[in-house]
Amino acid sequence: MALFDIGRLCVKIAGRDAGRKCVVLSTEKDGMVLVDGETRRRKCNVRHLEPLGETLKLKADASRADVTAAFKKLGIELRDTKAKKAAARPKRVRKKKAAKEPEEKNAAKKPAPKEPVKGPEAGVKSPEPVKEPEKGAPVPEPAKKESPKPAAKPDPARAGKKESEPAKPAAKPKTAKPAEKA
Amino acid sequence: MVQGKFKSGRFRRVQRKVPGGRTAHRFEEARPKQARCGACGKVLHGIPRFRVSEARHSPKTAKRPERPYGGALCSACMRAKIVKENE
Repeated sequence: MALFDIGRLCVKIAGRDAGRKCVVLSTEKDGMVLVDGETRRRKCNVRHLEPLGETLKLKADASRADVTAAFKKLGIELRDTKAKKAAARPKRVRKKKAAKEPEEKNAAKKPAPKEPVKGPEAGVKSPEPVKEPEKGAPVPEPAKKESPKPAAKPDPARAGKKESEPAKPAAKPKTAKPAEKA
Repeated sequence: MVQGKFKSGRFRRVQRKVPGGRTAHRFEEARPKQARCGACGKVLHGIPRFRVSEARHSPKTAKRPERPYGGALCSACMRAKIVKENE
């Protein structure tokens, strides 16, 4: 009967599991054995184990549940730890960033087309008022401009004939009224 | 005149090159002594000689071995102690 046969209770004397009890579950070559118990379930060098006098009845490569039950008979309760779930990495954030960049680019591009669009819009707005004056301009603008001219022309006439003044103001509203109507 | 605190032995004199180009002596806080095993007095491995500020900003895992009695006993004394406890 070998010293480190299956079921041998040992104490780990090296590493972070030092001082914890474990049981040998299988022997491998080069002095390595599989241990489980208070320690992590892993291969271990027999140099890092201190055998104890007790032996547990376990099969080779026994499961964690069997080891837990065997240790419970000895009065040792094993604590099973669950692996922590890896926190979700912010890959979505990267995607959002990637999505934002094109939006920003588009946003940066959009203003550029908007500016030319604004021009035509302004042009559209301006033409409307411009068209109105354009339609009316040929008629009223010259009428307005002409109206003062005739008013200016008559002025010298007025200078000549003061009596014709009452008749000319009557002519001005006539010229102005058609301009306003147009 | 040298300040009194620099004559206490807590500081050590070091030569440093100053911005003017010349080499001048400066006082630097001395590092702690090497840690030793509490049982046999052997120098302990894995324990850096941090200054207080360096140790304060270092993780605990960087300041002593991750095993029972790490930083207090050498590995041989730790094994002997564990074996003795389980006899």
